[in-house]
Amino acid sequence: MQLIQQIINGLMLGGILAFVAVAFTLTIGMLNFLNFTIPALFMVAAMLAWALISPGAHPLALGLHWVPAIAVGVLAAVLASLLIERFTYRYMKTRYGDATEHALPLVSSLGFLIVFEHLAMTLWGGDPQRFELPFRNTDLNVAGFVIGLPQLFSLALAITLVAALQTLLNRTRIGRALRAIAENPDASTLMGVEVQRVVPLVFVITGVLSALAGILYAVSYGVVTPFMGDAIATDAIAGMVLGGLGNVWGAIAGGLLVGLVKVLAISIFGAEIEKIPVWGLLLLILVFRPSGLFGASRIGKGKF
Amino acid sequence: MADALTLDSVSKAFGGLQVIEDLSFSVPRGSRTALIGPNGAGKTTVFNLISGVYIPDSGRILIGETDAAGVSAARRVGLGLSRSFQNIRLMPHLSAVENVMLGEHHRRHPLAAAWGKRATSRARAALADAGLDAYEGMVVSELPYGIQKRIEVVRALLAEPSLLLLDEPAAGLNGAETDELRLLLERVSDRGVTILVVEHDMPFVHSFCNHVVVLNFGRKIYDGDNEGVRRDPAVLEAYLGSQSGVSDAA
Amino acid sequence: MSGYLEGLIAVLAINIIIAYSVYLPAAAGLLNLGSAGFVLVGAYTAGALTSLHGVSLWLAVPAGGLLAAVIAFAVSFPILRTRGVYMVLATFAFAEVVGGVLLNWPGLGGAAGLSVIAWPGLAAVVAVAAAVVAGAAWLMSTRFGLSVRAIHDDESVARLFGVDLRATQVAAFTLGGFVGGVGGALLVHQFNFIDVQGTGVLFSIYVLLYVLMGGTQTVWGPVSGALFFTLVPELLRHVASLDPSLKSLESGRFIVFGVAVVLLMVLRPQGLITRTMIERLFRRPSAGAQHG
Repeated sequence: MQLIQQIINGLMLGGILAFVAVAFTLTIGMLNFLNFTIPALFMVAAMLAWALISPGAHPLALGLHWVPAIAVGVLAAVLASLLIERFTYRYMKTRYGDATEHALPLVSSLGFLIVFEHLAMTLWGGDPQRFELPFRNTDLNVAGFVIGLPQLFSLALAITLVAALQTLLNRTRIGRALRAIAENPDASTLMGVEVQRVVPLVFVITGVLSALAGILYAVSYGVVTPFMGDAIATDAIAGMVLGGLGNVWGAIAGGLLVGLVKVLAISIFGAEIEKIPVWGLLLLILVFRPSGLFGASRIGKGKF
Repeated sequence: MADALTLDSVSKAFGGLQVIEDLSFSVPRGSRTALIGPNGAGKTTVFNLISGVYIPDSGRILIGETDAAGVSAARRVGLGLSRSFQNIRLMPHLSAVENVMLGEHHRRHPLAAAWGKRATSRARAALADAGLDAYEGMVVSELPYGIQKRIEVVRALLAEPSLLLLDEPAAGLNGAETDELRLLLERVSDRGVTILVVEHDMPFVHSFCNHVVVLNFGRKIYDGDNEGVRRDPAVLEAYLGSQSGVSDAA
Repeated sequence: MSGYLEGLIAVLAINIIIAYSVYLPAAAGLLNLGSAGFVLVGAYTAGALTSLHGVSLWLAVPAGGLLAAVIAFAVSFPILRTRGVYMVLATFAFAEVVGGVLLNWPGLGGAAGLSVIAWPGLAAVVAVAAAVVAGAAWLMSTRFGLSVRAIHDDESVARLFGVDLRATQVAAFTLGGFVGGVGGALLVHQFNFIDVQGTGVLFSIYVLLYVLMGGTQTVWGPVSGALFFTLVPELLRHVASLDPSLKSLESGRFIVFGVAVVLLMVLRPQGLITRTMIERLFRRPSAGAQHG
């Protein structure tokens, strides 16, 4: 019984991780860019929503209703994401350039991560804050098992969005453009694909995905902190690697798997031992089977 | 004494494209051989096969008397092979001297000094020999194209090769620079080094080389001297019939 | 010398040492987002030796470095099979595994961290930092250093001129591990404490960022990166203390660092110290007499 509940808990966490993993794998697959600002966007939406909703003396405590507050959170994340696009991806050198030059957007994104996390620290302090919504109980009770509705919703939403994305990529003109850019960014510009318009779209999607995940996390677990994105992002990256870089369905499966392993390992062995098998497995996959457990359906090239 | 280089029925395909087909030719020791042909004929691929960047699908490559099949790319420089590249492949963040020093790198111990007057003396002398000493300490990415091209040749020379492969060494050089290059290469050739050049600059080929091999679509269509190549019908057809012309004007 | 200044110089010295642990592989084109891994190995090894087994500090620190080097050597082979983002992730994964192992190793304190008593003192820490800088400068001035920089610029052509790609990269990675281990060993003893939680993802990120910020083209880059990362926050703190209305500057030190990283990547991605800068400043002997 206890085991089944833990499995459910694991899948619930996995539902949130899947969402973030999809955001990561999307940017890598389409833009060859490991976007380390995703944890920041995750946090910005959640903390901003919290600040707007919750009563108190903190900055931006406007006591808003949760619906507009969440909308503002998501919007803020999207705007932040576009700002990041302006300062990171635009400067990616896709042609020559050595390893360190290829890493430019990654490094830039790390810089942004630090800025956002410490901005939040400056505004709201480093202590964990309670995130509460008007409706108390967001859990389903099925046959004696507790199932978190927000997590379930997160998983369902992730699956829906990925299905929608696949359709977008395969059936629409914009999707074709995105795939062209992923294959060969330089040639795409020559062929008249409007890189300027299409790439920001990816960043917008990234922002929305990360923001929703952050909000869902906050609703599920009731806590927000400036550094809440870090642990989640780390696990989501693990999910992405398991599923294969660029493979969006794999990211969902990978995220679920990581959530499951993490919760089960903690409940059976105690906290933190799960790091070893999870990351050990990941290291092996990266070295011997970089296409992941499910094979990377690489949308783009296998560069940086 | 064996030829400096022998290709024996070498073939190479990439994907479905047969780039080199049953290619056989020899480069006599001490000769100045040109490997010419229209664009896309496979000349740079031949160089890549010789230096070990690619492995032939079939056939043999002999460097001197040694079958190159057993020798990895990193060790072919030890066989006396050295080359330059069609698109400049200098190390952009290194100075001219440091780039040239790579030529003799394989003869040096890892912990030997690479800094200071003594360690750099041979490289600096080689640059001076080519008239490039003014650029010694400058980082190559900041140097003009023509200078970079010549530095690449000097780097290849410092390896003290017995077989020197030059991929379009005169491309992008003006008349004066081309003359300087030819004089340098003549001095090198007089020392007994075998030189194999890929070139499009026909006046350069005619004035410098004594043996010409012509490729078209990965196959050899001519193998002989300078005089014959101008009149050979197959060669004329290959050039006149193809998109890329041969610039006979310098 | 005031206690504050002593503490600051100690932090700077250790940051410099750890910077070189990331610089050495980075100079060969290998990005390490798991420097915390080697720092933790060195710290816990040395810390356990001094506090649990009564070993002298002067033996424990090299021992920490050595174990980190051995692990770096072993791990370099699989990691060098990866490239680009996969390598970044692999080094990241490695650090996570190290953290996980140490958290669960009996007797090392687990999540509560490890406390030690032996203290190296400022002079020792500064001396080691100076030795690391000098050693790195010498190493990069040898043919090995030339190999490293050639690989950084163009792996395949470097190979064609006889550079042993694999051996050079393994060596760079292993040496980086050694230096990181030494840095970690000194870190835990200078500040009496270390824990996995505080030496994790963010730690590795900061180190990689300030090394890249300093510039990997020359051997002087890491020093400038460490200087920036260590001293600018202190400068801000001083400025803030002068005028109460500037209080927010103090807590904004990381924000400044992050913004600086972003701006640098946009305006000067080669980092603060570049090859051309050194050439112009010092006109090295290899430049020759007739240099216009």
